Amino acid sequence: MTTMESAARYFWIARTAARSNLAYAGEVIYRCSFLAIILYIFMRLWTVVYAGAEEDRVGGLTLPQMLWYLVITEAIYLSAPRVASEVDEDVRTGRLAVHLIRPLSYAGGHLSRAMGDRVVRFAINLAVGAVIALVLVGPIPLRWSGIVMFLAVLPAAFLLDFLGMFLIGLCAFWLESTSGLAIIYTRTVMMFGGMFLPLSIYPAALQPILRVLPFASMLSAPGTMFVNPSLTLLKESIVIQGVAVAIFAGMVGIVQSIALRRLFANGG
Amino acid sequence: MLKSLVDYLQLGAAYLRININAQLEYRAAFYSQIAAMFINDGAWVVFWLFFFTRFPVLHGWSLKDVMSLWAVTTAGYGIAYGLMGNAHRRLAPAIAQGELDLWLLHPRAVLPHLLLGSSIPSAWGDAAFGYVVYFGFVTPDARHALMFVVLSFVVAVVFVGLGITTGSLSFYLGNASTLSDQWRDISITFATYPPTLFEGKVKLLLFTAIPAGFISYLPVESLRSMSITDLLVAIAGALGVLAFGIVMFYYGLRRYESGNLISMNG
Repeated sequence: MTTMESAARYFWIARTAARSNLAYAGEVIYRCSFLAIILYIFMRLWTVVYAGAEEDRVGGLTLPQMLWYLVITEAIYLSAPRVASEVDEDVRTGRLAVHLIRPLSYAGGHLSRAMGDRVVRFAINLAVGAVIALVLVGPIPLRWSGIVMFLAVLPAAFLLDFLGMFLIGLCAFWLESTSGLAIIYTRTVMMFGGMFLPLSIYPAALQPILRVLPFASMLSAPGTMFVNPSLTLLKESIVIQGVAVAIFAGMVGIVQSIALRRLFANGG
Repeated sequence: MLKSLVDYLQLGAAYLRININAQLEYRAAFYSQIAAMFINDGAWVVFWLFFFTRFPVLHGWSLKDVMSLWAVTTAGYGIAYGLMGNAHRRLAPAIAQGELDLWLLHPRAVLPHLLLGSSIPSAWGDAAFGYVVYFGFVTPDARHALMFVVLSFVVAVVFVGLGITTGSLSFYLGNASTLSDQWRDISITFATYPPTLFEGKVKLLLFTAIPAGFISYLPVESLRSMSITDLLVAIAGALGVLAFGIVMFYYGLRRYESGNLISMNG
């Protein structure tokens, strides 16, 4: 099989996942309405904060920029597919054995499906979030360079998150249930990634630590790049993402090879 | 009347024992879910901690007030769905799929028996979290502590009422599982932010269609003022939400159609 044929297979998995995502209108409406509620609540929260502040900027951002930052981070966070629970189910039901006999990498197949799914979810979230932000606070000045920088860090942010969730799912080989770990992981990303608060709002002593953790490069970096782009942040984010992807991918490879030694498949 | 109440309390205790024993069969999963919920709620407390470190007062609300808000909401949620897990996500799909037959065959009132039928393991983590945060972080005196305990059960009544109301939508709309989850989640989301953020028509909505006001705003106001009048208003509100749910369930039950489903309650 040539590299092109192999790539085409993974592309078709991603495409199918993207299309099937559009079929579940109920889930899309649920996600969008939840996004709308969160944006409304935070608009109220920040309006009160800015009204009491002495300057028109908090943490380096104006009120509209703060809400648009939240649109980006929420759109990314809410677009996460349920990779951990899918892998968990594969392990628990034995479906993993069926995946392994296919001429595809197990992790690669999941990655294609997750990316196809996530791109569509993110696009919908972003569109809905943008409309809500326009209604609540109006537009913010955007620069082409900022949008390009934002698009440059977004794929690695998705990839990093996928690897984190895939690792959690593989823990099903050892744990009765990985749902607890998945909650801990998502909340860690939420808190240390700067989903609700830009890192500049966090206590000063914590900021340098949070900046070098991979979580900030999943949420805070794309959000900041969109509303207040900077070349320094772009370089910093690319380095952190590169190192984190290498570490996470290495861990996935090691854990998967150890886990597969524990796999027993019975015919039937 | 009293005999019947004692009878149902004994039934509740029996179900609680059975449900916990069933969950303890998967001991590691049970404890990990409790720990995960503790961390889930803790993440929000950390968020507010960071927030109030930077902005110490929010429209007259301090960090302790927000901690009380989270404590009473999580404790009430945990008690409600730890004891009556079927009031959580199970009711709407059970009605839509015709699974009520099992409960209709018992010589008990359908609704309380149905609600007691399962327990949500992670809810115990929420209940523990609420109590730990209030007693560990807010450090109340004896009067506040007593008021908190009473209010956590009052809030549990609101959550059960809300669960019945949202679940009963399936009687009227077909499979309303998503809508039911959405309604409850939106109510909880609003309940975990200070009420001073909202005004006008939104505030009216928070005491009617989205009962966040009864979940946390009135209980926290009672804790702040330590007024018996506020407590009675909170209790009345909770009973109102529960009564609305009960009426909606039994009225809807007349429209129920059996699924001819053979099932066991194991």
